[in-house]
Order: sequence, then structure tokens, then C-alpha cells
Amino acid sequence: MTTNTVAPADVQQTGKPILEVVDVTKTYGEGHTAVTAIAAASLSVAEGQFVSLLGPSGSGKTTLISMIGGLLTPTSGTIRLGDQVVSDMSKKELTNLRAERVGFVFQSSNLVPFLTARENLLYVASLPKKHSRKAAAKRADELLGELGLSDRANNVPEKLSGGERQRVAIGRALMNDPDLILVDEPTAALDTALGRQVVQLLAREVKQRGKTGIMVTHDLRMVEYTDQVFEILDGHLTKSDGTTLLDGH
Amino acid sequence: MSIALLEMRRAKLRFGLLSGAVALLVFLVLFLSTLSGALIESFTGAIKNLNADVLVYSSSARDNIQGSRLDPSVVAKVAAVPGVAAAGGIATTTTSAQLPSGKGDLALFGFDPTKPGAPDGVKEGRLPNAANETAVDVAGATIGSTITLLPTNIPLEVVGILSGAQFSAAPTAYVDLPSYQAALKAANPNAPFIPLNAVAVETTPGSDPAAVASQVANTVPGTAGYTISDAVAKIPGVSSVSQTFGILVGMTFVISIVVIGFFFLILTVQKMRVFTLLRATGASTGRLARSVVVQITAVVVVASAVAILLVWGALKGASTGIPVSLDPTLVIGTVLAVWVFSLAAGLLSIRRIRSIDPATAAGAR
Ligand SMILES: Nc1ncnc2c1ncn2[C@@H]1O[C@H](COP(=O)(O)OP(=O)(O)OP(=O)(O)O)[C@@H](O)[C@H]1O
Ligand SMILES: [Mg+2]
Repeated sequence: MTTNTVAPADVQQTGKPILEVVDVTKTYGEGHTAVTAIAAASLSVAEGQFVSLLGPSGSGKTTLISMIGGLLTPTSGTIRLGDQVVSDMSKKELTNLRAERVGFVFQSSNLVPFLTARENLLYVASLPKKHSRKAAAKRADELLGELGLSDRANNVPEKLSGGERQRVAIGRALMNDPDLILVDEPTAALDTALGRQVVQLLAREVKQRGKTGIMVTHDLRMVEYTDQVFEILDGHLTKSDGTTLLDGH
Repeated sequence: MSIALLEMRRAKLRFGLLSGAVALLVFLVLFLSTLSGALIESFTGAIKNLNADVLVYSSSARDNIQGSRLDPSVVAKVAAVPGVAAAGGIATTTTSAQLPSGKGDLALFGFDPTKPGAPDGVKEGRLPNAANETAVDVAGATIGSTITLLPTNIPLEVVGILSGAQFSAAPTAYVDLPSYQAALKAANPNAPFIPLNAVAVETTPGSDPAAVASQVANTVPGTAGYTISDAVAKIPGVSSVSQTFGILVGMTFVISIVVIGFFFLILTVQKMRVFTLLRATGASTGRLARSVVVQITAVVVVASAVAILLVWGALKGASTGIPVSLDPTLVIGTVLAVWVFSLAAGLLSIRRIRSIDPATAAGAR
């Protein structure tokens, strides 16, 4: 093992850190049945950086990005997004954070079954307090075009293939121009070519628009599109220097 | 379009069936209450729509105008009681008559056109003011037609059409007291005098009818006084009929509310995954609750519109034998009540939505 635990200060940065995770721990349950899913994890991602998160099943990847995305509250530790301290937020503030600053692509591409692809995008656009219907319609059509979904836009998820659904979910995550994009296994339902295309699109969004992106993946071939690689094993987060990526996979 | 309405548009069958079920229940509520209202009106209309504040019966009448016998001299004694502005005699009997629909029962009322006790609700024409003129609440009667009392063959000329003036579910004809007395004398030549059944009292302005009613009973021996609403409530059978219908209407109402409440609870539980996802993408609980409210409101509006059409059609098609009409106040009241209570039942759904943990949306499965 040549990986080592990284303190936020050690991170190579291309800009100021927009996301800082400091000593975050998450324990599910209490007493005998308590499970520590994340133990004292720290990481820092700068504006315009796209990082990947690798780890075996059950290692805590989803738990970590759920806390970062304001879906889960850490048991201890601090999560900062820009000037906001996510780990201190109330439920209501977290709801707003998710609506306005976070784009989440869930592990199982979760779409609203009775809305078309386009309506799935438009719905999230209506969530932030300030929104414009016209701008949303334009952005939805742009995104659907970039994701190769223009002619599938008016289909409900039932009529879409698994890969198409995954792309709609990505479009939804990008819809509100979030500061933070969190993607849980985007390529699971996609073939290699399409998977590459989708990951490239994500990387481009992050780079061009100066966002911060974290992608959970099993697919080592996708790592080349990311700036940093983190690995989780049994809840312990380490930064990978790239040499050990194939160990244990 | 809001997500609530989009969903209804995509799931037309589901929401159509729900709206249909609710429409049938609202229909039942409206139909039953309209019918019961009409039925009670047909029992009580003649008393309820009487131009008087207080009615006086004989104390032996057991609260029933048809069991009451008063000597005509009582009218003057009642008129002298403090608080009484004017008093007029009323007489009534049930007789056979030749009606537009054929031979049938008729409640004949005699009253003094110059005194209290005239029927309200002249829909057409006027009240009688000469011998053998009559104002009637008889199906099919028209101004200028004739109703013949049997077996005396006394013809009454119809000069007025009344509405809401039936009594004991029988059609009624109002004549002046002399014509009434003549008709009864012709049928019973041996009767020593024709008694009155009641005295109608108009109270002086500002006096309490209930107080005047007991004042009359205390002052004039052998009498009992009633306010109009009291007299209506004591008509035999009225309270049990209205109670029975009240229970039927109430049960139907409760069933409608429970159906709507459970249905939306089922819909909510089925959609927990979607609601969890929406919470995870940043939708607030309040926003999701509003979408439930929008759907409940939409269902109630559609169902009520259908129900009103159904009731209207049913009342047109049904021959009930008593005059029935749809009361707008009743319709609006019923629809509002269904809506308000449905929203209350929707709170069950909203409680489920409140308990959602958005983090589960990120879980692997
Ligand atoms: N709500 C929960 N309650 C209790 N334990 C949980 C809960 N959610 C996750 N866990 C446990 O926490 C650990 C980490 O789970 P997590 O979902 O983060 O793993 P993961 O790395 O995303 O796995 P996968 O690759 O299979 O998606 C697992 O042991 C899991 O069983
Ligand atoms: Mg996971």
C-alpha cells in the first residue's frame, strides 16, 4: 500500500477549495448495532476540479457523498461548501441547498415515473426560490441535446432504456447549474462508449463552468477524466497517487 | 402545469375512477338531502310558510293542528293578549276533491284574508278574496282552472298558485273562512257550528314570539301557544323523518370523506419513492403537501360537477309526487363540506410525507 491519508492542506489545488470535508464521521444506529460507515474522512476539492471516488461495495461511498450533498448529517466533523457550513445546516436549509447548489445523480437512476424526460428536468428547475420558466425551458432543451436525448425528451421513463434514464438523471443534476455535482456510479447502466461520452460531458461541465464534481465509480477507465482519485476501504478515505488503482480491483 | 395536475393527466384512469366514486357519493348526499328536504317540506310547508309568528291550538290538541278544536270566539280573546298585534282564525280539514290529476285527497284551509294566517309563497296570481276563490298548491293546477270539492260538488276557482304550501304530503287549497264554513256545512248539515283549528298571531314589533306564545296559553283558558318553528317540529312524524334522513345523509357524507382520505393515503404510500426522490432533489415538504391539496381539490371539483349534473338529471327524470327542487345553498354547503373534510383526511397523507428521510433516495436500492 502506497496510499496515504490526506489532510485538506496537502491537496494539489487549481483554485481555492470550494468543498472542504474535515474529519467527518458517520455512524449508523446506536450501541451494539452501530455501524461506522465513514471514519474521520477529510478531503478538499477546488473549483473546476473533478474527482473520482473508488471503493468496494459497502465501503461508504454513497454515505460520504450523501453527507457532502446535504442529504445526510454527519455524526461529527465539518463539511464546508464555499462559505456555507453544510454540516451545521437545519433541515430546511439543507432542502434549499439541495435545490440550489447541489446536483445529485443517484446510484439507481431515480426519475419521476409520470413525468417525461423534459418535465423531469423542468421540475427541479422550479424548486429554487428564484427561477425563470423560459430560461429553464431553454436550458432543458440544451442539456437534452448534449445528452443525445432530443428525440426522447417527451417520453416517460418507462419508455426509455436504462442508459437513457441515466442520462436524463445527469441532465436533471446539471439543470440548476449547481456548484457541486455528485454522481453515484454514472456508468453502471451505460456501455463503454456512451459511458465515456457521459463522463466527458460531466468533466466538461465541471471544468468550463467552474464547478466541483465528485464521481463514484467502479470503472477504472473513467479515472483518466478526473483530477484526483480517492479510495474508500471500510469507511477509511485515502487519496490515491494513481499507482495502486488496480490493487484489489 | 404543476406536477400534481401533470400526474392526474398521465393517470387519467386512476383519477377518473376516484372522481367517479366520489361523484356518486356526493350525488347520494345531495339527492338524499334534497329529497328529505322536499319530503319534510311537503309535510310542514303549510305551517312553516304561514304568515304568522305564533300559532294557538286547543290545549287538548296534543300539538297537532288537525286535532285542535277552538270556538271562533277565542280569536278575539287571543287578540286581546298583550304582545299580540293581530289574530286570525284558521280552519283545516282533509276532504276529497276532483284535482287536475284526478280524484284525490286535499287539505282545505280556511283563513281570514284581512288577518294573520294567510299562506306565504304566492308563485303566481293572488290570494282569494271572494267566495269560492282559492289559492292552491296542487300539481298541475293553473290560474282559472277549477277544483271541485267532493262529495258536495262545490267548485273552487283557482286564482293563485302557491309553492311550498303542502300539508301532510297532500295538496292544499286555501279559501276564505266563510267559503270554508259553507263547504263544511254542505257536507255536514247537522253540525251546530264549524270550529276553528288554530289562531294565527302576529306579535307586536320587538316582542319575543316564544314569550307571547306562553302568555296566550296562560291568559286564554284551554289554549296552547307555539312559535312557528316549534309548531313545525311538533307535526307528527316530522322529527323522526328528519332524523332518519339526517342519519342517512350523515353516513353517506362520512363514507365519502373516508373514501377520499384513504384513497389519497394509498396514492401517497404508493408514491413514497417519488416523494423521497423529490425531497432529495430539494423539494420542500410544504411543496409536496400542496400538490396533495391540489389533487384533492381537483378531484372534489370534478366529482361535484358530475354529481350536480347527476342530481339534476335524476330530479328531472324521477316522478316523486312531491315538488322537488335543487337548493343552491345546499349544493354549495355540501360541496364545501366534502372539500374541507377531504383536505382534513388528506392530512394523513401529509403526515406520511413529513416523515420522509430524503437520504434514502441516495441508497443503493
Ligand atoms: N441507513 C443505514 N442504516 C444502517 N447502515 C447503513 C445505512 N446505509 C448504509 N449503511 C451501511 O453503511 C455502509 C456503507 O454503505 P454505502 O451505501 O455508503 O456503501 P457504498 O460504498 O455506496 O456501497 P455500494 O457500492 O454497494 O453502493 C454499509 O455497510 C451499509 O450497510
Ligand atoms: Mg452506493
